[in-house]
Amino acid sequence: MGAQTAENTVGSTVNTVLGPVPARELGVVAVHEALLSVVPGAEHAFDITIDRAEIFEALAGKLRDFRSHGGGTIVDSTGMFHGRDVRLYEALSRSTGVHIVASTGQGPEELLGGYFLTPQTNPPTPWPAEKFADLFAKEITEGMVVPRVERRGAAGLVATAATRAGMTATDESLFRGAARAASATGVPVSIRYGNDAVHDLEIVLDEKLPADRVVVGGLDRKDAVATVAPLEVAGLGAYVAIDHVGTEDGVHVTDSERATLVAELIQAGHGDRILLSSGATGVAKGHEGNDVPYSHVLTAFVPLLKARGLSDEDVRRILVDNPRDLLSVR
Amino acid sequence: MSRVNTVLGPIPTEELGLVAVHEHIGYGMPGSELDTKWWKTPEERYEETVPKLRKFHEYGGGTFVDATGICNGRDINYYQSLSEKTGVHIVASTGFVGGDTALPFFERASVEYLAEHFVHEITVGIGSTGGKAGIIKVGVSRGGRMTDLDKRIYRAAARASKATGVGILTHLAIDAENAIAIFDEEGLPLDRVLFGHVDDGVNADKTRDTWIAEQGGRIGFDTFGYETELPDPPFWARPRRERLEHFLRFIAGEGRIKQVLASADANCSPLGWPGVKGHTVNYIFTDLIPDLRAAGLDEAAIKTIFVDNPADFLSIKN
Repeated sequence: MGAQTAENTVGSTVNTVLGPVPARELGVVAVHEALLSVVPGAEHAFDITIDRAEIFEALAGKLRDFRSHGGGTIVDSTGMFHGRDVRLYEALSRSTGVHIVASTGQGPEELLGGYFLTPQTNPPTPWPAEKFADLFAKEITEGMVVPRVERRGAAGLVATAATRAGMTATDESLFRGAARAASATGVPVSIRYGNDAVHDLEIVLDEKLPADRVVVGGLDRKDAVATVAPLEVAGLGAYVAIDHVGTEDGVHVTDSERATLVAELIQAGHGDRILLSSGATGVAKGHEGNDVPYSHVLTAFVPLLKARGLSDEDVRRILVDNPRDLLSVR
Repeated sequence: MSRVNTVLGPIPTEELGLVAVHEHIGYGMPGSELDTKWWKTPEERYEETVPKLRKFHEYGGGTFVDATGICNGRDINYYQSLSEKTGVHIVASTGFVGGDTALPFFERASVEYLAEHFVHEITVGIGSTGGKAGIIKVGVSRGGRMTDLDKRIYRAAARASKATGVGILTHLAIDAENAIAIFDEEGLPLDRVLFGHVDDGVNADKTRDTWIAEQGGRIGFDTFGYETELPDPPFWARPRRERLEHFLRFIAGEGRIKQVLASADANCSPLGWPGVKGHTVNYIFTDLIPDLRAAGLDEAAIKTIFVDNPADFLSIKN
């Protein structure tokens, strides 16, 4: 499937909030995390305070913890409309030494603003894929927006998601637009599937985006594991994100089952397609968030993998090489 | 004591003067702030806005009611500076232009929470600005029928209006049976509600303006100036003569002139759409009032429409 090796990413760079960084410098990467996570609209709520100094302190503490356990790079994969604060992330990266990769993209449909869903046209037709592609691509070629103020550095990936009950027509436009923006700019796409991981992956592949430019999130959901979706996704050549490590709830499998899943994927020859992350929320506004340390994979999950017989080399491939290859701008 | 909340604090109703009751400093649908095609520098925004407000003041305009709801680019600090520097009173809205302009946080909220939010913005202030809302905006989403979210917002607005005494301003007056049923259930007198946009080109035929008036609602002919005669009219434009005749027909009814308000729904500097070139709040002075005089309205009638009715509507009733 054209897996990219360490050798041909030697000269590659990754878009971080402080500018392009040589891919080999990323170190251990957590690919699906959230820094500041704000439900759209919560910033206007009378009973929600957004104290940026307080938010900075909380996030800096979590990033330092991650770094102290060997972490190198956090990817904020929440897109452009869920609390992303590029200037705050720049200051956090400078202050903590952790590389921060921020994302463009939006989704699912229910999280979009009315501008995209019921525009001031007659009839109010939702945005098509091409317009989303342009909106997202400009966040890479011209920089991420600070709304109505300025553009900053380039986004490092395009993140989108489908409605949990199943992909809607607008979700499909988002997926196709994300794929086109990725093709045009060389950054990868992150998708969170709705109710059918393989179907949703095939939408972006239909846009002729190579599968190794795609990471599929949420594959440690029970419904994904039960339908063998992780193996199928890897078989198609995309990256499998087991991205709720540390979360044990009714929706996801347990960490022990996650470790089994990793071992199975390696046995099936997909060691170069596995990614691990915690889906942690650094600071949540307007929702509960997922209060897991960014370091959980390093402190608690790697020992479980070792106990399953994974070698240091296996672990390094999953935590360092795979995300480096994914995030390298092509 | 009669009073109205402006962005710079309460003022006596007697000071409102001539009111433009349904206007926008700048409107943009939520999400439009992400699209740089609409961005303007602060210099451009002031350059586009200040001369229009100054002109409004010079024509004898007293108060500009900004009908831009939460999530639509409502910008209280900016309104405060505009008001302070131009001398025009600006009344800001809480509420939403329609359910389809409310972002997910509010879409998920209960009626109780929405009501609490509106009351807070009316009695305590909007964000950290200290400015208080003087009106509650509600509206019907695109599609012509009230959505469940629209209905929750109307119900919350009714409760907040009863609790605080400020009025409700609607975007569109279609599907009014559902709206009035909610206001009745909540025990809100309909003279606290201005049913807006009864005159727009898309919905006028479907809007039961005289029926709403019979129920006791106030009626807003407030898209004056969006004319099909414009070089590049928006889709809600209407022939100038047709709108004027509609208005005159309406006020010819017994007592109707006491229930009617008029405005231009113009943007001083649009935020997420191109706007309509040449259309400003000052259409009220340059075109509308002259048209009304030419149609035979006397000065007392004009004062009723633009001064007395808005004063009664905007005045906090509690």
